[in-house]
Amino acid sequence: MGSNAAENHPISFKWVEKAIEERNAKLIVVDPRITKSASLATLYAPLRSGTDIAFLGGIINYALQKNLIQKEYVLEYTNASYLVSTDFKFDDGLFSGYDAAKRKYDNKTWAYQMDEKGVPKQDKSLKDPQCVYQLLKTHYSRYTPEKVESITGCPQKTFLKVAEMFVSTHKPDKVATIMYAMGTTQHTVGTQNVRAFSVLQLLMGNMGLAGGGINALRGESNVQGSTDHGLLYHIIPGYLPAPDSKKHATLAQYNESAPKTNDPMSINWWSNRPKYLVSMLKAWYGDAATKENDFCYDWFPKLSKPTPYIVLFEDMLKGVIKGAFYMGTNPIVGGPNTNRAIKAMENLDWLVAADLWETDSAIFWRRPGVNPEKIKTEVFLLPAAASIEKEGSVSNSGRWAQWRYKAVKPPGDAKPDLDMLDLILKEVQSLYAKEGGKFPDPILKVNWNYTAEGEHEPSPHLVAKEINGYTWADKKQLESFMLLKDDGSTASGCWIYCGSYPGENLMARRGTDEGPNGIGMYPGWAWCWPINRRIIYNRASVNRKGQPWDPKRAVVTWDGTAWKGDVVDGGAKFGPDTKNPFIMNDEGVGRLFAKGLVDGPFPEHFEPMESPVQNMLNSQKVNPASLILEEVGEFGSVVHYPYIGTSYRVTEHWQAGAMTRNLPWLTELVPDMFCEISPTLAKLKGIKNGDKVKIFNNRGKISAFALVTERIRPLKVAGKDVEMVGMIWHFGQGCSATGDSCNLLTPSIGDANTMIPEYKAFLVDIKKEEA
Amino acid sequence: MNKKAFLVDTTKCSGCRACQVACKQWNNLPAESTTFFGGPEYTNPAELSAITFNHVKFFPVDLSKPEKPVWTIMHKKCYHCENANCQNACPENAIRRLDGWTVIDHSRCIGCGACTEACVYNVPHVLEDDMSEYGTEQPLVSGKAYKCHACTVNTRDIPACASVCPTNALTYGNREDLVKKAKARLDKVKPEYPHASIYGLKEFDGLGVITILKNSPDKFGLPVNPKPISAEKIMTIHAMYAFLNHFTLGLPSLKRTAYRISKNLVG
Repeated sequence: MGSNAAENHPISFKWVEKAIEERNAKLIVVDPRITKSASLATLYAPLRSGTDIAFLGGIINYALQKNLIQKEYVLEYTNASYLVSTDFKFDDGLFSGYDAAKRKYDNKTWAYQMDEKGVPKQDKSLKDPQCVYQLLKTHYSRYTPEKVESITGCPQKTFLKVAEMFVSTHKPDKVATIMYAMGTTQHTVGTQNVRAFSVLQLLMGNMGLAGGGINALRGESNVQGSTDHGLLYHIIPGYLPAPDSKKHATLAQYNESAPKTNDPMSINWWSNRPKYLVSMLKAWYGDAATKENDFCYDWFPKLSKPTPYIVLFEDMLKGVIKGAFYMGTNPIVGGPNTNRAIKAMENLDWLVAADLWETDSAIFWRRPGVNPEKIKTEVFLLPAAASIEKEGSVSNSGRWAQWRYKAVKPPGDAKPDLDMLDLILKEVQSLYAKEGGKFPDPILKVNWNYTAEGEHEPSPHLVAKEINGYTWADKKQLESFMLLKDDGSTASGCWIYCGSYPGENLMARRGTDEGPNGIGMYPGWAWCWPINRRIIYNRASVNRKGQPWDPKRAVVTWDGTAWKGDVVDGGAKFGPDTKNPFIMNDEGVGRLFAKGLVDGPFPEHFEPMESPVQNMLNSQKVNPASLILEEVGEFGSVVHYPYIGTSYRVTEHWQAGAMTRNLPWLTELVPDMFCEISPTLAKLKGIKNGDKVKIFNNRGKISAFALVTERIRPLKVAGKDVEMVGMIWHFGQGCSATGDSCNLLTPSIGDANTMIPEYKAFLVDIKKEEA
Repeated sequence: MNKKAFLVDTTKCSGCRACQVACKQWNNLPAESTTFFGGPEYTNPAELSAITFNHVKFFPVDLSKPEKPVWTIMHKKCYHCENANCQNACPENAIRRLDGWTVIDHSRCIGCGACTEACVYNVPHVLEDDMSEYGTEQPLVSGKAYKCHACTVNTRDIPACASVCPTNALTYGNREDLVKKAKARLDKVKPEYPHASIYGLKEFDGLGVITILKNSPDKFGLPVNPKPISAEKIMTIHAMYAFLNHFTLGLPSLKRTAYRISKNLVG
């Protein structure tokens, strides 16, 4: 659901097909289109783009009404029995604490009732009307099969088959996994879509088990690595929250904000956060970082406001951002609402694009139809080395960090990113040294020693060793993050990678031993964070006695004195009955009710910002906490743009296409921008397969070939047929195969939590292009 | 018996087209110039050609059961017939069997197109424009027929196409083993696809590419009970050609004309 793995992650599908063939696994595909994945499914269910929560809420309701949940797991390992404050309310799509003017929630009332020791109160009978279980049951009782059908367009009969098949995994020895990708996240309710998966999987008792969990299929080989190392604006390396300039002005304030608990059953791993931050500051600022100056916490950049992708481009438009680096990114094709993004880029004084080829974004100043003389931006193109032309690690979505070697030299002057950054930093340092500057210390005193004695280029090994961490005094590599300290005696660039390079580079291992329990953990292959644990939350794979829920697929087992199997979560000294399994939550259990998100403790269905119908579950149209920037103007209405637009990829092209649109063998297969429409829409609009069409809305107009296919069908939503125009988003005006970018049409609106743009559901119109 | 073969299992193919690209890469074949799609759905180019040795064909989806849509995606290349029409039709003996594969000897090929006409699968094609910057051991030249040679030219252990298939929809191995595997697989998929079939067990005395299909072969454009070309007719054409060949001075263009006249005279 939300993933077309056969198309976009074809290698992953090898394992899906293996499970079907060898283990008789069932594959359910829920997707607006009949995709390649759908063609290999046991059961296919359609749904209208943007209605995942309605569909999943329907399954949650089905499970709760029929009492088909993993009861013991739910009681022990989730917050089902926890009592919620009586001040918590939910009414017509709004949770308590909503401020309509700010479009924000105050989550004070989304809290547990506490006993005198400050531990959440529980009702293990699950009868208390304020317990999470009862609140959950009431919340999702509105998600009836009838409602699911009228919102999603999936026929009730089909929906019920999906619900029945999925919920059959509530038995302790049955397990299901959910594979998702951008189809899930690129919505104004993207994070809550993922939350709905989690709620369902917790009810089924499928988290922490072999073959269970929810699996994000990443868009690139190292997306996991980039988020691990803090690429997103709201986190810093190791998933520590990015410090806020007001709330976390001092180190003490930052440390004070770490999660706390009084529950003796909770390990509350984030209480270790100060050790990880200080070790990171030590790695960054070295000798300059001392206890007296709070380890240079003042030097560390802090957020004065959220700065997601959409906001960055708005800031370019306003002239707040004057220069930009694009390293391996091609926003003119990949970002939303690109006409607006281009205007923003024209406002830049300078732009540096580092890529393998000249990308669409690098030539924005001389794109077709513009006069380069009128664009002031000075653009620099840095030729980059490709993955096979440099050494380093990539981390996959299973958290395996795998070391890769350099196979060939980069052509010409092309350089690895590390070399580029190293040269730039050194150049900037010398400018600061020569000319001075407003705030030179973080630049001049940064701990940056990646070039070995006698070498000219920086070494990725030295970077990896610093990421792992070492003792400051004698520079001894550390074995594990258990050894990190908050007193400046240890340095570590990213605590979760501590143990990856303790001496030997464990990421370079290629051991092919399958490891314990016959579940394919391969502990000697590369290295997996944290501390080579192959399945996280593995304490949830056993009952309170330490016996696996499914003995045939044991992950860990407690023999009364010790753990066997995978590296157990939360420390080997704790038995299964003394500590809760979800160690990163301060209550130690899985959250059916979650206080941590900005848009509500339970996933609730809202329509996409641009939708052809009204919300049938509550009178809020769009997610009330989603990010709407006034300056981006009006959104499109169904009156003018009657069809759902959505975007996706094909196997033959890669992301924004800079790496594939220059390759003849791939452009032979998919040479042109195309859209997919149903035969009924085609007939209505007089469009034949292979015709050129215009697709347009109030943000832009694109030209594409029309693929008329039965794989797209109108869906009956609220009794009316709703049509969809599916578009690939790989094309742009650079590279050898050109075409219009579908992102000229996508809206600048983001998910409430991550602010990922809503690429997957918006409104368009379509007509045949005049000859 | 160590006879090798390919097994194409359309019940497993996810249509990634790695086979099509790997073939072009290993054999250094040029890309065709395409616009939009050449055939149904994502099919591109439309068919096999002198520079496209294998090809993935997408069929329209069958929605008779909406909860179980059947979308067939089929890898196609030379079927390497045991008793091959192309080989029999070739007036220059330029096509031979090599380790069980049907291979064109380009030093003999005159580009007459007899093989193209004789093949019921539309596999061999005569190259029109010179593309001598492409090819591996021998450059691609105009006026010669090209098709899949199972990587017997520029050899490798497993042919390029089969080496890259992520889902085991395309495998390579001993023909006997693959036939057994195909039959077992057919039994397994019958409940899902009641009309599923295996193609290539008997056709032309057994094909080098066996295909598991979700329905009967005719649904996928594969001829049912295809007939070998008439040996008598071929003999007459070849006799006529042998006679006219005396006047061709060994020039391929004249040889092609000689073949054309022979064929037309025999009718």
